[in-house]
Amino acid sequence: MSSSPTLVDTTRSEWLKFRTVRASLIGVLTFLVLTVGLAVLVSFIIKANWNHRDPARQLVFDPVATSLVGVFFGQFAAGVMGARVITSEYASGAIRTTLAAVPRRVHLALAKAIVLLVTFAVLGEVASFAAFEIGQLIYKSGHLPTGSLSNSTDLRAVVFAGVYLTLLTLVGYGLGLLLRTTATTISVFVSILFIVPIIVNFLPSNWQDHITKFLPSQLGTSMMSPDLTSQAFSWGVSALLLTLYTVVIVAAGTVMLVRRDA
Amino acid sequence: MLKIDHLTKRYGDTLAVNDLDFEVQPGVVTGFLGPNGSGKSTTMRIILGLDRPTSGRATINGRTYEQLKAPLREVGALLDAKSLDPKRSARNHLRALALANRIPQSRVNDVLEFVGIASVAHKKVGGFSLGMSQRLGIAGALLGDPQTLLFDEPVNGLDPEGIRWIRDFFRSLAKEGRTVFVSSHLMSEMAVSADQIIVIGRGKFIRSGTVDDLTADAKGTVFVRSADSARLAEVLRAARATIEPVNDSGLSVSGLSSEEVGDAAFAAGIALHELTPQRASLEDVFMDLTADSLEYGHHDVEAAP
Repeated sequence: MSSSPTLVDTTRSEWLKFRTVRASLIGVLTFLVLTVGLAVLVSFIIKANWNHRDPARQLVFDPVATSLVGVFFGQFAAGVMGARVITSEYASGAIRTTLAAVPRRVHLALAKAIVLLVTFAVLGEVASFAAFEIGQLIYKSGHLPTGSLSNSTDLRAVVFAGVYLTLLTLVGYGLGLLLRTTATTISVFVSILFIVPIIVNFLPSNWQDHITKFLPSQLGTSMMSPDLTSQAFSWGVSALLLTLYTVVIVAAGTVMLVRRDA
Repeated sequence: MLKIDHLTKRYGDTLAVNDLDFEVQPGVVTGFLGPNGSGKSTTMRIILGLDRPTSGRATINGRTYEQLKAPLREVGALLDAKSLDPKRSARNHLRALALANRIPQSRVNDVLEFVGIASVAHKKVGGFSLGMSQRLGIAGALLGDPQTLLFDEPVNGLDPEGIRWIRDFFRSLAKEGRTVFVSSHLMSEMAVSADQIIVIGRGKFIRSGTVDDLTADAKGTVFVRSADSARLAEVLRAARATIEPVNDSGLSVSGLSSEEVGDAAFAAGIALHELTPQRASLEDVFMDLTADSLEYGHHDVEAAP
């Protein structure tokens, strides 16, 4: 009882808080269903319709990308989970009890980020590998082309699908720190991933080429794609850029947490 | 010891706390009294480092709250009892607080037993009554066995038995030498539960002292009854008293002591049936002190137009 608590103690406390509400369990299940379940569903549909596919489309079939398609749905569950770690505390007023126990707000922001980072790194990788492996089993059973983890490009795509999900969880968290309410945070999160790309679509095409490759969803696609197109960044640059976005958003959120009255 | 040092907090144009400056001593229960909106909760939040003061500071044993490494082991606070995640159980709520401050997990059961909610500790706090939430809040405040305790409107939502329990509890904490600081907008509550009272209004310090100090210098009235109250009223008015008739034969006299009233009646040959000095209640004192500082001043009830 004599020694001072450290970041480890704050993180243990936040981990206990994370795992002791049912919303976390529901969130995790939703995340897995979207990421793995939808990939499985898509893979089955592709397999069932394979023989009706026009041969040109059979040629460009990408067994890796299609098995990871659930990532672009699971990212919403991940972002919401990230946001709720802080916005639910503002909604209930629990943030005041939390800050009274942990007045070092940078510690608190870091502890929550660590819990999310570790949890979703594990969940994201598990979900990505599961979606990929199940997808390939389905394709194999229909004698479709398949990918393999022994292929370094395929392995990288699967690993970075998990990385993408982890980063987007933290983007949701950072937005939550900045915006404080669940509804606003989710609106902004969805806008960035869905609506901004649509708006960019209406811009003149020479603008589009410059802007699209910077969008988070395009960065995710680049991180998970084996092929490089001239309009997109390489997977490495994409991963770095998305990490940079994430760090900036979480850092900005932490500054606001420190500055604002609770 | 809790020290409020020229504390000012401004929200936009509103001055919520205006240069408050006082000390709260250990060993006694100190009441923090003021009408709603007078800045009590803001002051409490600043003490706990939740809000930043515009100027000045609040310190606990010489340090601001942010400087405390394990704050729950030095300061226990009950703010809004509903400031909890409704979906988490009472025990898990306390376990998380204990982890964050390196308080042994065995304390969780101790404080749950102490406030009498151990049997419902596995339930989600969202289903708790206000009284049960208050008890959980108190358990949280006691978790780190702190030397300084702050309670913001603790009797709200408690039943009479709970109110009595909490009064005795404050006394016992003070008797153990702790600093106990309790806010309330109910003067009647402070009169029975606090040894020392600090009165504020509109964010400003008004007065401090014991209950007796506060009532002693307030002007009391004298109640007299006589068969000839009309003539008695005339006589007393001549002696520059202010008279208000009470019932048929009674008069409430202010501006004269009971001795002066008795002497004046005797000199005029009027027999008195009753002569009772009426001490100002703490309630009257409070109304007097804060009359100009009510945020939402109300006028006397008038007939509707």
